[in-house]
Amino acid sequence: MARPAIMRQMPQIAHVDVNCFYASAERAFDPSLEGRPLVVLSNNDGCAVTRSPEAKALGIATGEPWFKLAPRAKEWGLVARSSNYELYGDISARVMELLGRYSAWLEVYSIDEAFLGVKGEPDQLLALGHRMKDAVRRSVGVPVCVGIAPTKTLAKLCNKWAKNNAAFGGVCLWDCVPPEARDGLMARLPVAEIWGIAGRLSNRLNGIGIFTVLDLVRADPVAIRDKFSVVLMRTVLELRGTACIPMEEERIGRDQLIFSRSFATPVTTAAGLREVLSIYGQQASARLSKHGLQAKVLTAYAATSPFRNHEQAYPSVCVSLPMPTADPLLLTKAAHALLPSIRDGLKYAKAGLMLTDLRPTGNQPPLEPFENPHEERRIGPLLEDVSRRFGRGSIGLGHAGIRCGLDWTMKRDMCSPRYTTRWDELPLVKAA
Amino acid sequence: MGVIIGPRVIDAGASLFSVLISPVAVAAGFPSPAQDYFDGRIDLNAHLIKDITSTYVVRVTGSSMEGAGISDGDELIVNRALEPKDGSVVVAVLDGELTVKRLRITPTGVILQAENPKYPDIRVAALSELTIWGVATRCLHHV
Ligand SMILES: [Mg+2]
Repeated sequence: MARPAIMRQMPQIAHVDVNCFYASAERAFDPSLEGRPLVVLSNNDGCAVTRSPEAKALGIATGEPWFKLAPRAKEWGLVARSSNYELYGDISARVMELLGRYSAWLEVYSIDEAFLGVKGEPDQLLALGHRMKDAVRRSVGVPVCVGIAPTKTLAKLCNKWAKNNAAFGGVCLWDCVPPEARDGLMARLPVAEIWGIAGRLSNRLNGIGIFTVLDLVRADPVAIRDKFSVVLMRTVLELRGTACIPMEEERIGRDQLIFSRSFATPVTTAAGLREVLSIYGQQASARLSKHGLQAKVLTAYAATSPFRNHEQAYPSVCVSLPMPTADPLLLTKAAHALLPSIRDGLKYAKAGLMLTDLRPTGNQPPLEPFENPHEERRIGPLLEDVSRRFGRGSIGLGHAGIRCGLDWTMKRDMCSPRYTTRWDELPLVKAA
Repeated sequence: MGVIIGPRVIDAGASLFSVLISPVAVAAGFPSPAQDYFDGRIDLNAHLIKDITSTYVVRVTGSSMEGAGISDGDELIVNRALEPKDGSVVVAVLDGELTVKRLRITPTGVILQAENPKYPDIRVAALSELTIWGVATRCLHHV
């Protein structure tokens, strides 16, 4: 494909996504699950949140409750696992650590997805995609697909193609897909499959004759803005190759909250990172409270800037909280578990928190949302203030702890061992 | 996000760091993360684990590897990123189970060897027929 050199050197975005993440994490330590239909159930209500391809082939839908599946499990050879968020959190951190070695610009988008800024000729980018895919599979043990394109929306689309068409070999580069093939693929994909287009919006689009991704690409962006929103206009522009969705620093998804930032000036001491993590813990708490959620598992990570002239480190830690919580003190304390792995003198360029195993706060009165003017400023006085309030509210919290504790033990009966975070639950290898 | 540390401190830290690390790294021929900082205590992670991202700890059940000093109940440090070679102690997937064996690559085929005469070896035609889960680098033997 003849293109001007300047076009080819434009920065591109790689979207890396683990295939059936929870199911793949289970299989990494239990190879007997390979090739068998497998569903991973939510802790809250025992519904299928992840299905292996074999489970999908049985017609099992996302969200199907286990009590409906259980009677036929034996006949199908279907296996169920409860969500093992401690395992998933650690595997996720490993995937992100590894990906961080490939780009200075890494956005952890969800527990199993990341965007990376990449640059190069098409063949170099394709090779890079394969290197990342092979490295994650080999070093961490889970399969990923990679989509590489000029925009985030197209990179996600390419990843979908890579997942659904074996011909791509797990890596799809937009620039290497011939234009007529792109149109063909987009004409076959319902518009709801595009990143950011949820059910109601896709119904409205269908109402004005936009059914497929190709229909949306061909729609007039200005008309889309007027009828719908600037957000949807950005999607159209992104599908046409104009990058306009910036790096996000904070995101709340179906089952995780992510809080991550790059620093303008590197942080070079554990004391500096302690301060950063305290602020993140505080802000994550505020976001959880705002959404009426509590988290049970926290992953904290930091990364040096990936320039080769100084030493690299990607420390991370996965912490199981004593109870589901949105409490700023508990979250901050958990985030500080990263500090022993921080080495003074290294130049840390980013840090982040990921909260998973989210549950609704329920009937426990939520902690006051921290829409506090002090939030963005010094953290010390605020924490003391919180501490005083925490003391007063401790009866309510203790009560909630007992309630959730019981709930937790009951739902864990189909949970695999926490292979990578508990010394007494290590994977067993046979010497026989 | 505010600036956490003034530039003066960063520079001091960086130069101190490079002074500390370079003679050690040059003398040893390779940089060892274990030797970069001196806080007076031995950190087993730093010494026993080369790449924390690709390293898992597993526990052995059974006695087929006694001859390699690996006993029932011992823990193995396994690096998934390492290339399995002739002589490596590997964790391989056999019949859906993680199994520890000595890998032998010979001109006539590949053998997964037990290190105990009471247990049989397993032969395959080529390495590609095996799923190697990882390569054991250390055994934490209980004495
Ligand atoms: Mg995924």
